[in-house]
Amino acid sequence: MPKAKSYRDLTKELFDPRQLFEKREPLQGIRVLEVCYVVLGPAACDYLAEFGAEVIKFEGQRGDQMRFVTPYAYFWKNMSPGLEIENHNKYWVGMHLGNPRAKELFLDLVKRSDVVVDNLTPGKLAQWGLSYRELREINPRIIQLHVSGYGSWGPWTGRTSYDAVAQSMGGLSSITGFEERGPIKSGVWIADWLTGLMCAVSIVSALNHRAKTGEGQFIDYMQVENVIRMLDWTWLYSFKTGENRKRSGNRDLAICPSDLFPCSDGWVALAAFGDEEFKGLCKAMGHADLYKKYSDPTQRLKDENARKILDRIGQWTRTKRVQQVEELADKYGFAASRVLCAKDAYHSRHLRERGAIQEYDDPLYGPMVQQCYPPRLSETPGRLKWSSRPLGFDNGYVFTKILGLPPEEVKKLEDEKVIFKWNPQIPSHCPPADWDGVSGVKLPFFSEKKHNG
Amino acid sequence: MDDKTIVGMAKDAEFAKWAYRETRPEDVLKKTEALAHIRVLDCSYGSFAGLFASSILAEMGAEVIRVEPPGGDLARKMSPYGIMIKDSGLAYISEARNKFHITLDLSKEEGRKLFSKFSAKADVLIETFKPGHLDGLGIGYRHLSKKNAGLIFCAIHSYGQHGEDSEKHGNQPGYDIIDQARGVIMSITGEPDLDPELPREYKRPLKHGSWMGWSAGGAWAAFGILMAVFDRTRTGKGQFIDCAPPEGLLAISNYVMQYFHMTGEQMPRAGNYDYAVFPYTYVECKDGYTFISGFTDPNWTALCEIMNRPDLRAQFPTIKERLDPHNQPTIQHEIEKFTTEYTSDEILEMVQDYGRKVDKKGTVVTGRLESPNEVLGREHWKERKTFVRCNDPYYGELLVANSTFKSMSKTPGRVKWVCRPIGADNEFIYQSYLGIGNRRLKQLSDKGVI
Repeated sequence: MPKAKSYRDLTKELFDPRQLFEKREPLQGIRVLEVCYVVLGPAACDYLAEFGAEVIKFEGQRGDQMRFVTPYAYFWKNMSPGLEIENHNKYWVGMHLGNPRAKELFLDLVKRSDVVVDNLTPGKLAQWGLSYRELREINPRIIQLHVSGYGSWGPWTGRTSYDAVAQSMGGLSSITGFEERGPIKSGVWIADWLTGLMCAVSIVSALNHRAKTGEGQFIDYMQVENVIRMLDWTWLYSFKTGENRKRSGNRDLAICPSDLFPCSDGWVALAAFGDEEFKGLCKAMGHADLYKKYSDPTQRLKDENARKILDRIGQWTRTKRVQQVEELADKYGFAASRVLCAKDAYHSRHLRERGAIQEYDDPLYGPMVQQCYPPRLSETPGRLKWSSRPLGFDNGYVFTKILGLPPEEVKKLEDEKVIFKWNPQIPSHCPPADWDGVSGVKLPFFSEKKHNG
Repeated sequence: MDDKTIVGMAKDAEFAKWAYRETRPEDVLKKTEALAHIRVLDCSYGSFAGLFASSILAEMGAEVIRVEPPGGDLARKMSPYGIMIKDSGLAYISEARNKFHITLDLSKEEGRKLFSKFSAKADVLIETFKPGHLDGLGIGYRHLSKKNAGLIFCAIHSYGQHGEDSEKHGNQPGYDIIDQARGVIMSITGEPDLDPELPREYKRPLKHGSWMGWSAGGAWAAFGILMAVFDRTRTGKGQFIDCAPPEGLLAISNYVMQYFHMTGEQMPRAGNYDYAVFPYTYVECKDGYTFISGFTDPNWTALCEIMNRPDLRAQFPTIKERLDPHNQPTIQHEIEKFTTEYTSDEILEMVQDYGRKVDKKGTVVTGRLESPNEVLGREHWKERKTFVRCNDPYYGELLVANSTFKSMSKTPGRVKWVCRPIGADNEFIYQSYLGIGNRRLKQLSDKGVI
């Protein structure tokens, strides 16, 4: 009898990133029309796009604001890194849906699509005659999701929301920060990204419902409420005690020990709540008395006890290097890790082996090394194909391949300004300066330069 | 509900009324559930990533069975200051919605046999043990999928099921603090590195106040599970899902990875600043904190006019100067000199007054930083049923966040019950799934299997 494969070999084989393009995509055949801008809406569609949905993104003449939002006002090959991060594998159309002819084209696409997503002001699509009422008339299977800060109805509908506003209005900022200092915003646009994720979750759920019943639906999703949902025990605590949850730095008020500790050469995140874990930690520290005294986890959580325990652990970690603590955690079965920064992740062999970081060769921008959205699916893994694109870059492909308009008709729509491409005066609309006029074009009929093949 | 409440500040009142009719909270329970045909076994242990994932599925109508060891999941003890309501902490009660609760000891042979039988009837399995733990017990993906080719097996762990770090650190349990630390975002969250006025001891990484590693990890897991369910309706095949929560944070770490790829440089912690939009920050005011933004040139001019600081406008005229991380602490402190003189409401009033001026130069946005108690009191959240309040027969008066999927017009998410005591559904689930009646149940209980 052949020896059974080790778990390590089994999982390596099941999730081998070299097999990525030999596997199915779970959302293959699902067409999504993205009428979104900035981060939240585009991110929701990006998650779907990396798992195989065909996402067509519509931009107005000025372009998505993220073409102009970038760290230190830095641009790379005319591309805005702020635009790149939430836009992969998409098809890019320049078209304003307020234009009557554009609206007709859009409705033609809706007939052949599965999902429409918007994060405009609530009611904006309705003003253009593109609300779910109209869309379901021409395609009863359509799923339409609208996302905004406060949703489509209620006392605060119509109020402007940004990521930072959602973090603060939802209560996240008030509980993030050091005990004796002010509130701190997440280092990233967390309320945008995670709301986008829950939007994607509700869309795939609606797709599952439609697969059973053939029925589409309208989804109203609220960004600020999404932040509220992700604050675990905050609300029940307020309800039962009348108190506001306090800021506690890196200390976890519901798990002890769980905190960030100083080592001789950096910081280590450490947690050990289970009995064996805490026992293991105390053993590693050589403080068996600590375990004896505080073996009951609920007793450890009492404020006075927790402060004493965390202080003892901190005194111990100061005498160690980060790696030593990690190794002791491996040995004694508690949790300890360094704090990873971008550089660590970029070079991590672990993340590359897992396909969490993927490399691809973009026809416009050259070699790219980027994160690919989780989780890892053994049969239908997510993948990166191409990066963000100049404004209107895929007009020809979308209207010719999907709507069957001949190239000269597409040209006419461009001449009539129903659809449009990048403005050469605005660098972050444009392809890289050294672009050959052909690379990256899907279905290149009317490019002026010869294809090198 | 009256029209005024429904329409609120809507630009299009008719749309608001239509949207209300499609998604009325009163109608939620009359509508169908998207995942009513899906059975989920959640045997996560000490992990709110697993619990959050199964909460999402349960809100959508899946039949979720929580498999806890006799004595209960460690997660029941994770509660602020150790506050317990009967057998459960506040966190667990908030994330046990719509789930059946049974006990089963997987360390016993008989327990594992029963577990195999359950999993043969399940569509989805969620686990959060150390990588390879269930496999070693003979109840891993390879074993269970033999009997159930459609099984979607989702393993959640900080280090993942494979890869160099999983092999190295696979003996460590997964935790939120580890997920946050390995998710890169923590390295750039916290007080600003480049502020010379900030005491040194605060220049260190900071986690989100809530379990953001676990929530994000759970949401990613649910996303993967739902896609696998969708794929299965077309192919009949199940699959193995490997969800490492840190990757769920890394994947949304703004542009730090892109910026490193493009420039070879890393970005320092920005604090409440933002290197791509500024001012776009929290500032101290007389009665707490408030958000304020005036990023583009016209909006910055507007903010400087409100503060009556033409000198600031002149000193930092373009976004180049305002996005320079060395200038941002100065700009922040100068804005705070103004805002600390007023309450958040007074600042809002000034901003609104300015917005009504005919010769205004741009738009400034402001908004008070809300405390949890303030959030709980707001009318908007009351009308939208953002919180569920109930009197549970066992746990008493409770309040938890409602499903955020409750405004799906055909299949709204919902909370049917909040929490169940340890093993409360043993009788029903063992009987209906495995035909095990009370007498056999008693025997199993005597042997410590359940």
